[in-house]
Amino acid sequence: MKDFTVFWGCTIQTRFPFLEKSTRMVLDGFNLPYRDIDGFTCCPEKSLVNNIDHGLWVLTAARNVALLDKAGVDLVSPCTGCVSNLATVNSELHLDNKEKNKVNSILNEIGLEFKGKNKLRHLVPFFHDEVGIPAIKNKLIKPFNGMRIAIHYGCHMIRPSHALKNDDPLDPKKFDNLIRAMGAESVQYMTKLLCCGQGLDRVDQHENALHFARLKLKELKALKVDAMALCCPSCYLQFDNNQFLMEKEGEKFGIPILYFTELLGMAMGYRPEDLGLDSHRIEATDFLEKWQRLNGELAKTTELNRQLEEGFGIAQP
Amino acid sequence: MESLNLKLLEVCSKCGACYHICPSCLNLDEGYDPRAVIKDILAGQYEKWLSHKSIWQCLECHHCLEICFQHYGFENAMAAMRTLASKKGLATTQVKRGWDMFIKTSKLGEPAAPARKKLGLPEAAKSGAEDFKKILKIYQERKV
Repeated sequence: MKDFTVFWGCTIQTRFPFLEKSTRMVLDGFNLPYRDIDGFTCCPEKSLVNNIDHGLWVLTAARNVALLDKAGVDLVSPCTGCVSNLATVNSELHLDNKEKNKVNSILNEIGLEFKGKNKLRHLVPFFHDEVGIPAIKNKLIKPFNGMRIAIHYGCHMIRPSHALKNDDPLDPKKFDNLIRAMGAESVQYMTKLLCCGQGLDRVDQHENALHFARLKLKELKALKVDAMALCCPSCYLQFDNNQFLMEKEGEKFGIPILYFTELLGMAMGYRPEDLGLDSHRIEATDFLEKWQRLNGELAKTTELNRQLEEGFGIAQP
Repeated sequence: MESLNLKLLEVCSKCGACYHICPSCLNLDEGYDPRAVIKDILAGQYEKWLSHKSIWQCLECHHCLEICFQHYGFENAMAAMRTLASKKGLATTQVKRGWDMFIKTSKLGEPAAPARKKLGLPEAAKSGAEDFKKILKIYQERKV
């Protein structure tokens, strides 16, 4: 596997450092060849920077990608927005030589050149394609058999597909495959691919943002899922923090929001508190209790079957 | 934002397939319909939209882009409106605040050092703020 760096992005490092912790724990657990490199800025956020100045959006993203060209490493990110923004600019510059030359004439002034030669991937498709389901299954100590988990992909993990090219943009499957590989049921639901709506919180429309969070949480409550799984800090903010705010006002949902890396880490046998689960605003107590109980039952059945297999051929009449 | 392709938008105004997949169109009770904005853009009467909250309700989820046979979608029209609104100082308070922070620091926040220490995380890698300042200066000079 080629060496890669992790693009943490502003939101994880500013607001949710425990998500960096669980990501590092699972990357280390698989012994993956990653290293931090200096010099990244904001990806930058499309809905903010591109809306105001397209040229600066392209230039800033191109500079981040050029740092990969200089270091000769691929990029993996646990943030959907970061990957989507970098990949979109990467794709735009590969299709437009004139613009690429313009960008490079500025980057040359600081000793960089955009080539865009390295892979830019989100952590979920990276685990699916590069680490692979068999390797993941090999690492499982406490799988989620019997648990019902609802996946929220997050728009920018899979779209725009011309830039990301990693899954079906309207019917994605890789996150589902990973959740199933961990033993859980991936619960199918009507609003599965609905945007989280967190963007509305960034344009002074908090009530509308809550409205979007409610659409999904209401359905998941009715379906009695054990948790929602996602891998985007912005979506996490929307469903953990905004759910907490609504619960404070008396609207109960009780859906724990678990990051892909936290679930994988727990299945690998790491302790939930070491993975940062106690930093969540929505507690996962019920989820953890059920998981513990089912794992106890699973261990008993496994032991029973082991004894049956062992006995076969011995107690012949 | 690059300039709008009015030829493609003309087709958009007659199609509207993305209306049925757009999360804001389908779910905002107060009503959100980029088709009206597009019609006004084509008629040269978009001014009223620049101060309207609708143009900030596009979530940039790219659903419209994916199903559009022109690979264009609502989002380009809405982004154009937001760019013009920002130029006229009509961006929302949070957008203005975010933009200022980005221009000043090259980021939308700094790593939370005490929390990192508590979690046992290594020191965060250095940001590219200095180089960003340099390229921003060149970019702005060349733009003028």
